Amino acid sequence: MPVQGQQQSCSCCTEGKVLDKATNAPVAFATVNVPNTNVYTQTKEDGSFVLTDYCPDRVSISINVLGYKEANFTTTRQDGEIPTYYLEETVASLDEVTVKVEAAKEKGTETIAQSRLSKDDILSNSTQSLAVSLSKLEGVTFASTGTNVQLPIIHGLSGNRILVLNNDIKHAFQNWGSDHAPEIDMNAANGITVIKGAAGVRFGPEALSGAILVEPNPLALYNPFYGRVGAGYQTNGRGYNANAEIGAGGEHFSYFANGSYARIGDRKAPDYNLSNTGKEETAFSLGARYNIDAWDFKVYYSYIDQNLGLLRSSVTRSPDLFINSINADEPIIINPFTYDVKEPNQTTEHQLAKVGIDWRYSNGGKLHFHAGIQQNRRNEFDVRRPEEIPIIILDLVTYEYQLEWEHPDWKGFDGVIGVQYFNQNNDNNPGTLTTPFIPNYNTERVSVFVIETLEVGDDTFEAGVRFDRETNDVRGRETDQDIFRDNYTFTNFTASLGYLWNISDNSSLSTNVGSAFRTPNVAELFSFGQQGYRSTFGLLRFSDDNGTLSTSEVVLLEDSDVDLERGYKLTTEYRTNSENNSHLLTGYVNYIDNFVYERPIGVFGSIRGPQPAFIIDQAEALFIGLDYTWKHNFSERLSSTYGLSYLWSRNIGDDQPLIEQPPISTNLELQWEQGGFWIFDDSTWGLRPSYTFEQFQAPRTVTPESLVEGTVEIDTDSEIFDFIDAPEGYFLLDMQWSFQVKNLGGSITAQNVLNNSYRNYLNEFRYFADEPGINILFSLNYSF
Amino acid sequence: MKTFNQILNFRLIALLFVAVFAASCSNDDDAAPEEENEVEVITSVSLIFTNNADATDVVTATAVDPDGEGIQELQVNDEITLTADATYTLTMAILNALDPADVEDIGEEILEEDDEHQFFFSFTTDVFADPAGNGNFDDAADAINYNDTDDNGNPVGLSTSWTTNAAASTGGSFRVRLQHQPDIKTADTGVNDGDTDFDLTFVLNVQ
Repeated sequence: MPVQGQQQSCSCCTEGKVLDKATNAPVAFATVNVPNTNVYTQTKEDGSFVLTDYCPDRVSISINVLGYKEANFTTTRQDGEIPTYYLEETVASLDEVTVKVEAAKEKGTETIAQSRLSKDDILSNSTQSLAVSLSKLEGVTFASTGTNVQLPIIHGLSGNRILVLNNDIKHAFQNWGSDHAPEIDMNAANGITVIKGAAGVRFGPEALSGAILVEPNPLALYNPFYGRVGAGYQTNGRGYNANAEIGAGGEHFSYFANGSYARIGDRKAPDYNLSNTGKEETAFSLGARYNIDAWDFKVYYSYIDQNLGLLRSSVTRSPDLFINSINADEPIIINPFTYDVKEPNQTTEHQLAKVGIDWRYSNGGKLHFHAGIQQNRRNEFDVRRPEEIPIIILDLVTYEYQLEWEHPDWKGFDGVIGVQYFNQNNDNNPGTLTTPFIPNYNTERVSVFVIETLEVGDDTFEAGVRFDRETNDVRGRETDQDIFRDNYTFTNFTASLGYLWNISDNSSLSTNVGSAFRTPNVAELFSFGQQGYRSTFGLLRFSDDNGTLSTSEVVLLEDSDVDLERGYKLTTEYRTNSENNSHLLTGYVNYIDNFVYERPIGVFGSIRGPQPAFIIDQAEALFIGLDYTWKHNFSERLSSTYGLSYLWSRNIGDDQPLIEQPPISTNLELQWEQGGFWIFDDSTWGLRPSYTFEQFQAPRTVTPESLVEGTVEIDTDSEIFDFIDAPEGYFLLDMQWSFQVKNLGGSITAQNVLNNSYRNYLNEFRYFADEPGINILFSLNYSF
Repeated sequence: MKTFNQILNFRLIALLFVAVFAASCSNDDDAAPEEENEVEVITSVSLIFTNNADATDVVTATAVDPDGEGIQELQVNDEITLTADATYTLTMAILNALDPADVEDIGEEILEEDDEHQFFFSFTTDVFADPAGNGNFDDAADAINYNDTDDNGNPVGLSTSWTTNAAASTGGSFRVRLQHQPDIKTADTGVNDGDTDFDLTFVLNVQ
């Protein structure tokens, strides 16, 4: 390759990718050169280029190829990110050439399967929650509690086994149960990467099954003032939203600010209103960056305030009503449409402040430090007397500090060594008039990790180890208001090993095996009592006496059988691209010993009548699955993408099924890039049929009636069951049209076009109501 | 200039470390959640039947849910055994005894909020001469002899009257349910309106 070094040799290079601005297709054989030097190269078939041994802090390049306008770019070296350069065809109108920065894989995750959601994907439906947006990606789905609360599931696991990193900082929220979702402002996200393997070494033991990286505005330098305003409306729930962003980057300084507001009323299933499913959300974030010589400083602040309604019919204070509700075709309570959110609901306020400092002390050597402070305030309201007083008032304050050293190339090894300190303080505020469901606690964790990468020809090897020492101090109350205390410390060891083989320019094979040991969290250990329609008892809140449950004592962790959750996950990914076809196949095996999960345990007699009860339990579990994506181009403008996710899972210790595991799902996406017509500079049509199968691996059904009548007897050794059958499979059809007129972009998206009634096995409210029916979303974005 | 900047920046980092660590350490405490005064918790209900003709003939049947929210099964401790062909007044003792040192009388709360509460009854058909039938679970308009009414003139049920049949019977059932019906209680609201505060079934004998 005709590349000539100009500067003194450095450990790496200047990389980039050149794409067609209109079609996103790679531009091959374009000449990339640095003006006034003899440094140049040509792009490969995938549009990528590398200027070997050329790595100044600021790069000016010129890109030239027949059929496209010559373009000149100046970018600073983006930290760990590969810039994408967009070229415009010479026939197209005079528009600015835009530069986008695409994130490179994080160190320590290079051999793990990952998928990414771009800014455009997010903006087309910006009021969707994090989990729903990500569920477009193969292998990712979500568990929900109604229409407003959704948790991402990666390869069958959710909750505390998926780490959500917002701006490099672990999003610290009330992460327990299926009714607490991460409070992430989607409008502020620049892109979201899902890592679908054990990423515990890089991010901490909670990334046992994967990690979700929410990237903020990258604060690019040399970026003239830009702004964007957007607004949207949706028919289902009569929701409206608005968002705005501004920013600019100079030689040393850059900044951004954005904000958003959304309000949605009661959603509607095809046959009835879903009463009390509205929400209101306000968010804003700010950031600034200062870059001088080898130093880079970044400061961020973000704020989000949510008020989320939960389906009114999900609260069944009388047990007869629970039985009636789950047997009824329609929810017990259906009221006319309203925007008002009443009990049951959750209000949350989340603030994050972060400081990041990078010091590039030499070529290839870097010190990175960041500190983050988060405050999460949550109030939950229940249908009760007095309903205006929250039943849960929790303040969670979290501090995180991380220092990383990316060392320069050493005998071919490239790596990062880091230390982290994590401190969390959870407090119940008084005045709920009920015994706290979750105790007060302080968690303190110190971690050290090392990750090394070695490239040998077409092969990349990656290995990492991590130690975490975590101490928890817990104080709670029993229902007689006696205080209980517990204090425990665990040292966890996490390791990973990966291999990436670039078979050819068009195909690669990567495989990664990782372990992660996780301490069960405070909610899994200490939950006690009623929340919504169910009573849940944590691992230390019940004892098992020959199959008979007792909840009269709080067991100390050291006196219990509770052990660390130990996970081992193998992920293998094969990619291949040809002219018109690209295939991506991800296979995984995840073995988890002492897997912590929640399951129904029966119906127990209370003074109100029979009450459905759930316990947190541990089991030896195995998950084996496959994600497949096949993209085919029929022509330059017409393409299809087919996706399939399959997961087999089982409690192999007791040879029983697990509960609430994702069923098989498959989808097809057809896309027609119409190009320009009439006043439109660009127009794209999409059609997305999808089918989700019935979960054939669901546990047996034991109705609450049969438990009340005593025709079925359950003890802790009995086989797992559910109160109702897994819902049938369902077909959904979505459609989208998006367009661009000069600086104005917009889209019309129709979800569940056929207005099908269905229930989702992964929605906890499947006991009570159907999913929402047809929804048409209109969105407009104006950039300047 | 460069060296100066570096020194300056090191100081900044050091300062930042100190500041944030100080902030995090000052937040540590080991306080337990404050004591909460549980509302709406009922752990013990006693039905007290007093013979109108003989004040010493008092039949008490108690059901206890000693651990409240805990999983321990409800204990129905007594059967109700009434004398045939006698008229009784039924009153109730409704308690929260989660904290034995501070037993609360929930009956008082119900009396204060009697316009939001109503007791409903269901029993073996015709075990009583008055009221006849099987109670007002299936139809709120069915006969029950309420002795008390709220400010709106609707029945409450903290006190009710019962006349047993002359014929003896054993193994019948007597079910009482207290419904909480805030803002919705009317003369027509029934056993499925509102939320259930308690719902208990006893064995009923007449001899």
